[in-house]
Amino acid sequence: MAGPLTTEAVVLRSMRFGEADRILHVYTPMRGRVSAIAKGVRRSKSRFGGRLEPFFHLRLGLHEGRSDLMTVTSADTLSAYPRLREHGDALDAAARACDAVGRLFETSDPHPEVFNLLCAMLGQLDADPDAAAAPERRLSFRLKLLLVAGIVPQLSSCATCGESDVVSGFSAAAGGVVCAACEAGSFGLDAGTHEFLVAALASPLVDAPQIGPREATLADRIVVAMAEHHAHVRLRSFAGGAR
Amino acid sequence: MHAPPVQRLITELSRLPGVGSRTAQRLAFHILRADAAEATALADAIRDVKEKIGTCEVCFNLAEGPRCTICLDERRDPAVICVVEDPGDVIPIERTHEYRGTYHVLGGALSPIDGVDPEDLRIEELYGRVASGVVREVVLATNPTTTGEATALHLARGLHERATGLTVTRLASGLPVGSDLEYADEVTLGRAMLGRREL
Repeated sequence: MAGPLTTEAVVLRSMRFGEADRILHVYTPMRGRVSAIAKGVRRSKSRFGGRLEPFFHLRLGLHEGRSDLMTVTSADTLSAYPRLREHGDALDAAARACDAVGRLFETSDPHPEVFNLLCAMLGQLDADPDAAAAPERRLSFRLKLLLVAGIVPQLSSCATCGESDVVSGFSAAAGGVVCAACEAGSFGLDAGTHEFLVAALASPLVDAPQIGPREATLADRIVVAMAEHHAHVRLRSFAGGAR
Repeated sequence: MHAPPVQRLITELSRLPGVGSRTAQRLAFHILRADAAEATALADAIRDVKEKIGTCEVCFNLAEGPRCTICLDERRDPAVICVVEDPGDVIPIERTHEYRGTYHVLGGALSPIDGVDPEDLRIEELYGRVASGVVREVVLATNPTTTGEATALHLARGLHERATGLTVTRLASGLPVGSDLEYADEVTLGRAMLGRREL
């Protein structure tokens, strides 16, 4: 579908290219992840200014030619999220959120819910950087991405035999929690982490339930294991479940 | 298609950044057409730079010998350190003729997503220089990109924790001279407004 295209987009990643260009990965509601070249953007007098930096929410004009790489023709800012850019933990959380979206949804399949979720996360990081960069919010965001990707862990009963009385471990290969009889190849799962996973999936991002550092580490391990086993995507864990 | 030595030259040239196979072929033919002295001078220059140029033991800028010309210059103020990402960033700051302190080259910017963590940069060496007690101010001149800003924030926190009396500054953000306000992005213009000064 060659020709001009105007779309909302969030810049996920920006890489230097050539003398003064950048290659961008942007996420769009209806075209999924798009790669585009922004020519001359690194020159100080570029008409794009700093708009094509990661995390900008833009109305983007693109030209689709014969190559896989579109060309950026215009960029209008919808949200710049300026406050998150002055907060180290919020910058880290935003980078990891964009990285997870880019890796789990790298095709052109439309996922407007992923786009809206990403905008919500960036908006919360901008409004309250401390609260939004906390482990519970980051984990809740990633769990919701797994849900859209169709690889959310089964949490209500043993993923192997269906037993729902006592779950004692987690197995990414089985696809969720497992009971004592089926726990071969699994790792231990405590009640606090299990409760967090269930509650985080059931509540809006902004209401993500509280979680302790030990449970956060385990929940992070579960998310990373699910993405790796079922989507063959390696997400960077956040060290020790902390920021 | 080409004789093996020509093909080898094209292959080697095409490894250079921004040089594709066609440009590499054009450069190779230019070298072939050039007289022997010109081609040898190019080869000697490449060999020389690899043999003679290393990194400064103090600031990690490029240096011929253990220390760079800036660290050896006694007129430079050792109490002020300007922190940059790469050796190439020293040159534009020197061109301003506004800075008379020394430098510290980090060797990149923090990007955990790409696997660049604090231990991959020369951050501990910077803290070591500050711990000597001579340094009064550290100017954070990492690029005004997302990774550059994250690096500056990380360094500011680390420096304040280690040296309480130290002044840590960041290069001002603003509008390029000769540009139009209508093309300025909101973050840059917002920072320019916050950093306005009295005339």
